[in-house]
Amino acid sequence: MRAALTRPQRGQSPAVTRTRPDRRQLVRWVVTAVLVLFALFGLPQLISLYYVDTMTQVAVYSMVTLALGVLVGRVGLVSLGQVAVLAIGAWVAARLLFATTQPYPLILLEAGLLTLVAGVLIGLPALRLRGLYLALITLMFAGAITVVLATVNFPNGGTGFLGYNGSLLHIPPIRRPSIASGDPAYYRYSVIVAIIMFALVFVHIKTKPGRAWAAIRRSEPAALAAGINTTLYKLWAFALASFITGVAGGVLAGAVHYLYSIDFPTQDSITLLAVTLMGGVYSLWGAVVAALLYQFLPALLNNWGVSADWLIILFGVGVLQVLTTSPAGLADQFPKDMARLGRALRGRFLRGRFRPPPAAPAAPPAAGSTS
Amino acid sequence: MRGNIPALAAVIRARRTVVLAAAVAIAAAGCSSSTTSTTTSTSSTPATSATASPSAAAVSTSQCGTSPGVSATGTPIALGGIVTDQPGTSFTDIANMAQAYFTCVNDNGGINGHPIKYYIETEQTNPAQIAADAKQLVDTDHVVGIIGNTSIIECSVDSSYWQKLGYYIIDSGIAPECYSTPNSAAVNMGPRYSSDGAVQYALTQHVNKIVFDQSNVPGTGYIAAGPSALAASAGVPIVQLTENVPISDADSVAIKEVDDAGPNGAVVLNFTPPEALVILQAAQKLGLEDRVKLWGCSTPCNTDFLAQSLGPKWNSKLFVNAELTPPDVTNTPTMNLYKAILAQYGKAVSGGIGSFSQMGFTEAEIAVHALESITSGTYTVATVNAAFKAVTDFNTGMLCQLWTYGSYSLHIPNNEDYTVTPDNGKMVTAQGCTQISAVDPQIAAYRSQAGTASLAPTS
Amino acid sequence: MPPWSDFEPFIVSGLALGGVYALSGVGLVVLYRATGVLYLAFGAVGAMGALIAWSLGQVGAPGWVTWLVCIAVAALITLGYGVLFGPALAKRDPLVKAVATIGLTLVLYGAMDLLWTTSGGEARSLSLPTDNGGFSIGQIQVDWTQVIALGAGIVITAGTGAFLRYTKLGTAMRAMANDREITATLGVPVRRVEAAAWLGCGVLAGIAGLLLADLVALDATTLTFLVISSLAAVLVARLRSITLTFAAAIVVGLLHDLLTPITSLTNYRDMTPFVIAAIGLLVLSRRRVMTQSREEA
Repeated sequence: MRAALTRPQRGQSPAVTRTRPDRRQLVRWVVTAVLVLFALFGLPQLISLYYVDTMTQVAVYSMVTLALGVLVGRVGLVSLGQVAVLAIGAWVAARLLFATTQPYPLILLEAGLLTLVAGVLIGLPALRLRGLYLALITLMFAGAITVVLATVNFPNGGTGFLGYNGSLLHIPPIRRPSIASGDPAYYRYSVIVAIIMFALVFVHIKTKPGRAWAAIRRSEPAALAAGINTTLYKLWAFALASFITGVAGGVLAGAVHYLYSIDFPTQDSITLLAVTLMGGVYSLWGAVVAALLYQFLPALLNNWGVSADWLIILFGVGVLQVLTTSPAGLADQFPKDMARLGRALRGRFLRGRFRPPPAAPAAPPAAGSTS
Repeated sequence: MRGNIPALAAVIRARRTVVLAAAVAIAAAGCSSSTTSTTTSTSSTPATSATASPSAAAVSTSQCGTSPGVSATGTPIALGGIVTDQPGTSFTDIANMAQAYFTCVNDNGGINGHPIKYYIETEQTNPAQIAADAKQLVDTDHVVGIIGNTSIIECSVDSSYWQKLGYYIIDSGIAPECYSTPNSAAVNMGPRYSSDGAVQYALTQHVNKIVFDQSNVPGTGYIAAGPSALAASAGVPIVQLTENVPISDADSVAIKEVDDAGPNGAVVLNFTPPEALVILQAAQKLGLEDRVKLWGCSTPCNTDFLAQSLGPKWNSKLFVNAELTPPDVTNTPTMNLYKAILAQYGKAVSGGIGSFSQMGFTEAEIAVHALESITSGTYTVATVNAAFKAVTDFNTGMLCQLWTYGSYSLHIPNNEDYTVTPDNGKMVTAQGCTQISAVDPQIAAYRSQAGTASLAPTS
Repeated sequence: MPPWSDFEPFIVSGLALGGVYALSGVGLVVLYRATGVLYLAFGAVGAMGALIAWSLGQVGAPGWVTWLVCIAVAALITLGYGVLFGPALAKRDPLVKAVATIGLTLVLYGAMDLLWTTSGGEARSLSLPTDNGGFSIGQIQVDWTQVIALGAGIVITAGTGAFLRYTKLGTAMRAMANDREITATLGVPVRRVEAAAWLGCGVLAGIAGLLLADLVALDATTLTFLVISSLAAVLVARLRSITLTFAAAIVVGLLHDLLTPITSLTNYRDMTPFVIAAIGLLVLSRRRVMTQSREEA
């Protein structure tokens, strides 16, 4: 690995010393780019429409798990109400889509911003609490929003503020952008939106908010003592998470065409937390893994005729596994396990042909988990 | 501290192995089973009529097909169905019974030698999943006909897709679009018209107020419009209520209903059996069941489970609208065939004899009748759906009337029903086939196009 | 605004509902005081016990046998969870421990829906012999089961409160919930105390499961996620005072039912627990000082 410390040039503050990207990082970037291009252009050709629809849902929920991962992994705030926030975003988007003829990207932006406002309004009082209490109060808010939604329902083309007409014999579908009305095209559209959200989070992580969040997660009193405005940064995280989830809600509205309040029950927030933990909250890939667990796996099992209940059991076991043995989740554990497998295979393969230098394996091998 | 690390690592690895092993074991066990086989169903006290009447045994299941005993070996005809299957609401019995009927037909000659291959997709009330299921059936499974759909929202989600592709569905409808579009015809009446039936019966008993309470699932306004029209036409005030399900506080629901109805009023419920049971039991525990003139319920309440769980206090107190012919007291060849097929091929139907399996049987029966009428020998989307649409005045043996699909802009082919009441653990008929009133504008609209179907012969 | 007489029957049913919430809420707080874990699987464990009791009843087992089995199953599952996962998570934040119980909840919930399917259109119900018989208050019948539920809530509140404060075992439990390592260095037999705490809590969950299955519904979804509403009372008491939990639960139940006759609010009355919890938590936590700085993984 190239040394990270280079002498700062004149005019450059030491804190923003640039380092040359090393080979491993370059490889990672290239792999990511290839995978993204494949997902955008290659995948829809290879899979049936059933799976294209499923992957659209994966794209939508990867944004939601991304937002939750930011809160849980980067800042250490557990939210048990993310599905309710998604519902708010979907509601706003649906209302605007029926009431106006604005272009889709504008509507997504508006949905994200209005959800951001809602998230901040909830976050302001809630952030006085910490840890378990904060998690539980987000659950309480989610429960309240769910009850309200059950009564006011999602907009379905009706008039008035709520835009809901309960007596309709034919419910009009929520429209999609004109350039992406077919299923494969809308799938690409949602992947692109998801990539933008991931980029947004990436930028946050690499700059000041990311560092502040890392400090807060490590130890909030220490961060306070160091002069970081913890309330502001925690609120910022809430705002970012709400914005992203709101945009995801807008994309969801176009994907499903019909929204129902029974699709956003409070207990889904619990399952969402489970898969986000399983996927891994410390890496952006974890969000993708979590979304695959949440949407792709059920679709796969449904196709094979296996009951969705087995998946719920798997998620429960997964949560226990993650919390007790590998807190970084699958996204972190899987490459490590694969690497270990690779080493074991290599060792077996090369035994007798080439002995690795004796200096290498002195330290205990990886000692299992990172703490 | 340092010395602990290897030990700690070992413990962690051991624990992880245990947990992973458990997960693998569970997953492996899961892969080997499927939704359709419930092994230890300690839960099903299958009904009541294990009274296999002697005439049932006399009916051979081979009557389902045209060439008894001959296995069909030609190119399969692919059909598909989408049903809800989630905790608390599961309609898999309907699809499984249709599957049982098709298997019987395949064992007895098939459709001119062609076996029927039936693809069942389950969903959890998720619109994206439902749309995906439809595409799976069409693009991957290449089904030529759709029968057996039973879902809270599928008709709404997929209706325009089916219309675009030219599929004419035979279903057991729930959502509004199942009864208001040209390409869906149901064998049941659905929540609105079944509630109409229950309210209609209450009105014939001269109540002076109606309280209509339903579960807060999609379509409450559409459902409420029917009872509202009926009550308005009779000059009886009606109170419309909704409850969030699952109900965790049945006491307050029961008290509210009874208070609003008054001593000469009626409380009519539209809930799934578990929720209706909880409300009625709460009313009984609170001593409220006699505080109103009568209680009514739409057709989901028509199960012997409910009759057993409720007890004798509700005899002739609760009147349930029944959209299908009561199986226990009917001894026709078709009913006996249904029971025989259920017994021989219906292992996956966990509810046994009851309205769910009756609906599945009826839909499969209609489909097979339609397929057998195709003389060209080609089974494509066009020919099969034309055959479905052409079904006219068919005696299903399960309904009051003859069943017709037809080329109408909406379909409510089952619009005449029974009313049943619990009688010491069983549901018995309180009123025979009665037409749903045309005061409901949708019924009027349908009858203006299709007329009134004749009563099915009762022998 | 409806006349006062309209509200009367809802006072009685509200108290009964409060008893339901109190049973769950008090159970949760007792578990928290004794083990340091917010046992969110409380409802699921009780539901599983109740469903097993129902199945046994269907094949003809006498009532008291089924109740004992229900309590035993709940106790065993809870004990198993506590012994397997308690030590591993002992050093972690209470939030992590609570989220771990979510894992158990999901496992039980999935298992229950697999084993007791709803595909037959069935409606299961559990009834206890105390359902038949009771007395009238005004125009409303109150059955003995509701009285027992309320009574059980009171007894558990008083009994466990005293147990935790005044007995040696109770004090050891509280110490362990606070800090396991230090308690171990003080010579307390940590494993045995922990097992006793979890076992006791499991018994509580079993009893509550039976009563709730009778009072509310014998349905896996309803009973498992009833904890979410019961959390309201728990949160108002900030997971500390058992008595306050009991009182808050009664208030939540009363308020929920008293909103029923008010037509404009009746559809929103299911929000009552959540709104009360939010207000209670936010109002009561206006001034907080950070006392600890625990590093988290």
